[in-house]
Amino acid sequence: MRMSSLILRTAVRFILPLTFLYAAYAALKGHNGPGGGFIAGLIASVGFCTYRMSYGDRAFHRLLPLHPRWLVFVGLGLAGAVATLPLVFGQPLLRSASTTLYLGGSEVHLVSAMAFDLGVLLVVVGVAVGMISRLGEELDR
Amino acid sequence: MVTAAPYLVLAAVGAPVLAGLATMLLPASRRLTRLALATAGPATSVLLMAIHLGRNGVSTADTPTGTIAWVPSLNLDISFLVDGLGAFFALLIAGMGVVVVLYARAYFGHDAASLARFFPTLGFFSSAMLGVVLADHLLLTVLFWEMTSVSSFLLIGWDRDDADAGKRAMQAFFTTGLGGFALLGGVLLFGGHTGIWRWSHLMAEAATISHDGTVVAAFVLMFVGAATKSAQWPLHDWLPGAMKAPTPVSAYLHSATMVKAGVFLLGRMLPAFGALALWLPLLVSIGAVTMLLGAVLALNQGDLKKIFAYTTVSHLGLLVAMYGMGGASTTGGLGAISWDLTQIASHALYKAPLFLVVGALAHLVGARRLPHLFGLWHRPGAGAKAAAVVLLLSGYALAGGPGTVSFVAKELFFAATTRASDLHPVLAVVGVMAIAAAACNVAIFVRLTTTVLGHRSGVGEAADAPVVPAGQPDRWAFMLWAPAAALIALQYLGGLVPSLWNRTFRGVEVNVHDEAFATGIPLAWEPFLHPGMPLLMTAIAITAGVVLGFSGWMRRDMVDVHSRIWPASYRGIRRGGHRIFHSIQTGHVRHYLAVVFSVLTLCIGWAAWADPAMLRPPAGMDPFEYPAGLLLGAVVCAAAIALPMVTERVVRVLVLGASGFAVVGLYLVYQAPDLALTQLMFEIISVILFLLVLRLLPRADRRPRIRVLPRLALASVVGISIGWMTLLAGHAADNRADDAPTLGKFFEAHSLEGSELTDGRGGEGRNVVNVILVDFRGFDTLGEITVLATAALGVWSMLPGRRRHREEEDLAVDTGQGVQT
Amino acid sequence: MTTVLAVCVAVLVTVSVYLMLSRELKSVAMGVFALGHGANLSILAMSGSPVLADGGLRNPPILGAVNLVDPLPQALILTAIVINFAVMGFLLTLLIVTARRTGTINVDDLAAEDRPDGSRTGGDR
Repeated sequence: MRMSSLILRTAVRFILPLTFLYAAYAALKGHNGPGGGFIAGLIASVGFCTYRMSYGDRAFHRLLPLHPRWLVFVGLGLAGAVATLPLVFGQPLLRSASTTLYLGGSEVHLVSAMAFDLGVLLVVVGVAVGMISRLGEELDR
Repeated sequence: MVTAAPYLVLAAVGAPVLAGLATMLLPASRRLTRLALATAGPATSVLLMAIHLGRNGVSTADTPTGTIAWVPSLNLDISFLVDGLGAFFALLIAGMGVVVVLYARAYFGHDAASLARFFPTLGFFSSAMLGVVLADHLLLTVLFWEMTSVSSFLLIGWDRDDADAGKRAMQAFFTTGLGGFALLGGVLLFGGHTGIWRWSHLMAEAATISHDGTVVAAFVLMFVGAATKSAQWPLHDWLPGAMKAPTPVSAYLHSATMVKAGVFLLGRMLPAFGALALWLPLLVSIGAVTMLLGAVLALNQGDLKKIFAYTTVSHLGLLVAMYGMGGASTTGGLGAISWDLTQIASHALYKAPLFLVVGALAHLVGARRLPHLFGLWHRPGAGAKAAAVVLLLSGYALAGGPGTVSFVAKELFFAATTRASDLHPVLAVVGVMAIAAAACNVAIFVRLTTTVLGHRSGVGEAADAPVVPAGQPDRWAFMLWAPAAALIALQYLGGLVPSLWNRTFRGVEVNVHDEAFATGIPLAWEPFLHPGMPLLMTAIAITAGVVLGFSGWMRRDMVDVHSRIWPASYRGIRRGGHRIFHSIQTGHVRHYLAVVFSVLTLCIGWAAWADPAMLRPPAGMDPFEYPAGLLLGAVVCAAAIALPMVTERVVRVLVLGASGFAVVGLYLVYQAPDLALTQLMFEIISVILFLLVLRLLPRADRRPRIRVLPRLALASVVGISIGWMTLLAGHAADNRADDAPTLGKFFEAHSLEGSELTDGRGGEGRNVVNVILVDFRGFDTLGEITVLATAALGVWSMLPGRRRHREEEDLAVDTGQGVQT
Repeated sequence: MTTVLAVCVAVLVTVSVYLMLSRELKSVAMGVFALGHGANLSILAMSGSPVLADGGLRNPPILGAVNLVDPLPQALILTAIVINFAVMGFLLTLLIVTARRTGTINVDDLAAEDRPDGSRTGGDR
């Protein structure tokens, strides 16, 4: 399925980086402000979907050259790993850990829950993009 | 020594099945070793029981055999009661098991595959039976009881190519299995009511058990279990049906084991329930009817196996009636059931040979029907002659002729009926029925004799007798009749030398009441020296039987009307189930949904009925407190109401989207920025999704709508009740005190910093919602993304894409373009 | 606000049940969709009205302010929305596959197809 409108295509070309930026922002900020893995994942998915709708299947493949299922697998694996890793150290399941990085004078507080959130993000993107693109393929037939 | 006892008994119970399974480990060619091993199973049981009895003697209610803990928390343990009844039955079962294994070797002959299958199955059955008769714990008895049902199913349905055998096996399984359920129900009812879970305990406390309704109900249920197992009227039809089994199985199941389990159970129950007012009338009426019915049906059969099956039914009825009259012995000192084990043993000792010899005849002569066996004695072959001799000797015992144990047993029963009728005159009817049944047995013997010794050799056999399959000569062929001969020899030995019999049985017989037989069964001629009512009854029975036997009456094959019960009920259940299934499973989604929603509404209605305060409108609700919210709510409602009204699909999707965007606004009012963002993105993607999908689906057909009003009514009821619930819950939340300890407050407090409640660790985040998702309730989230992945996998597998093909095409196009440019 | 929410829930649930009882699976899917909204709003009501006594609103559940709304229902709804999304995708795909295989998405026709004799009975016609 493709909606070949010049205005849409031009707009999407600008909007796409913005959505990705916003998704990254939401994902990083999620632990302390509005945002988080689910939201960021859905925002990124909206970006992908609009791009696919305006540019079509093949362009979309160049943007995301791998099958969305790999996003799902990696995300699920990451979340599962973060959840079970504490067991190795004798801690309860999903016990979070944190560390603070000092990058050029500014400190970044990293919590393991953020890695978990990243896994969630990947799964959501994978599922949403996978479903939409598969249904879109069906429509193209 | 005391502690070893239960293990010894357990080993005795387990030996047959272990030996049977062990035979499967041997190669098929080692037939002799297999046979030896299979025989060793029940033989070991006999040996172990003998050792146990030699060491500990027969235990009583006060000295039950020790226990092995099994599930102590459920008060369940493996405990055995080797009292007289149990020990007698165990020895009978194990001993008969040895005989049947040997016989099976000859019966199956060179059919090694059948033998290989037979030994383990028979071992399983033997062990189950031993467990039934030796268990002390009520539930253990039930467990073994069900195992006998299962194993007998396997044995009766032996011939897998015979559909009728399968049906009969199922009938037996259903009948006895349902009885098993009744028994289980009775045991649970009784145990739960009185707290007594052991037979030994039950016998010791027999006098103190009150006869209230629960105990009576438990007794009736247990009796149903016993009656189905022992093929009592009106559910006796499975027993003749089970004759589809191979002969070793019939001989084993119907002489000493399976069908005797019910009788055994009645013997176990007698001390505890015998004093119930219901005991005597229930058992005697059912038993007497079964006795007479079985005898008459037996006389009217042509097939030897059928004849003996119905005489078995008849004798089982006699035993049940005997135990029924024994109920009076605990109240009136009747002594009706004196030497009950002799009765049971005597039946086993002539019925087993009868079945065995029928199987032998089928092998040797190829005939089982009386007309085909005409002149058997005059046929060539030592085997046929030996079988004929055993058949006639066993038949004589069946008729209860003097010189056999069964003659005395019959005398005992006649004596019991006379005494019982002294107490309850109406029981004289049972005496008359007993005479009639005995006369039938005599008539059967007369017919057997005239057939076997008949002179017109070649008349009956010529035309329609099946031809004997010419098998290889088998050196085990003598085992076809030798076990039967040995068993029937015991019958005559007991009858002619009663002192031996008495010495054997003195130890295990507990019910010795009758003065006349107090010292044991008498010498063969002794009853004739004490003429009385029993002897007169015997004389009538024999005279009538001889006349009946020579007469032409009752010679046609009679079909038992009760044989219609099972097929009819089976069909009825299947049809009923089919009908119910199709009335529930209509295949219409909306019917299922209507049921679900109706039940939901009923639940809410029930709660409102239980607590009418739910129906009171909450006070202090102000819909106008936040105008923007009110507006958004109005948009949600308007869009929702418009949804079913518009038909154009794009418009529908847009309406759906509008309602969703208004919901986003509501989330904002409720100060949920995360929710608002998520819902917004979700709404965008789902509108895209819907637009895609609707184009892929066929257009709506223009059939008239299904009835609107009932739909709307149900929908409104559901909607209003859910809305009302929401109102009540929200009202409760509104009026919650600010310092009320809620989960939300806990998450708030620990979102950043931990406390001792969380082992000192916090979520280290300021967005409480996100911390709940990835930290406090992280496990839920992990499950949730798994659900997401599963749904996506479902989509991908339902619509397997052609991406790979597409990529190849792309590649081709790309290279093609590359060439062009 | 609770009243508004309760009315919205009532309307949404009514409409969705009405749609789910219809003959066409497309409508059923929309009903499921609308039911998701209704359920979410119903959970939202459990956090209590966000309107304070002085007419102002409470603050979002982000630490650093006072008078936060209850975060728990929000976390539950967030989960529910995403699950709802997955279920919708699955359901719609199921619809497509059903339409391909049977050529219809009419509940009555599908039920008739289930019957061995193929008779079309049991409809509300």
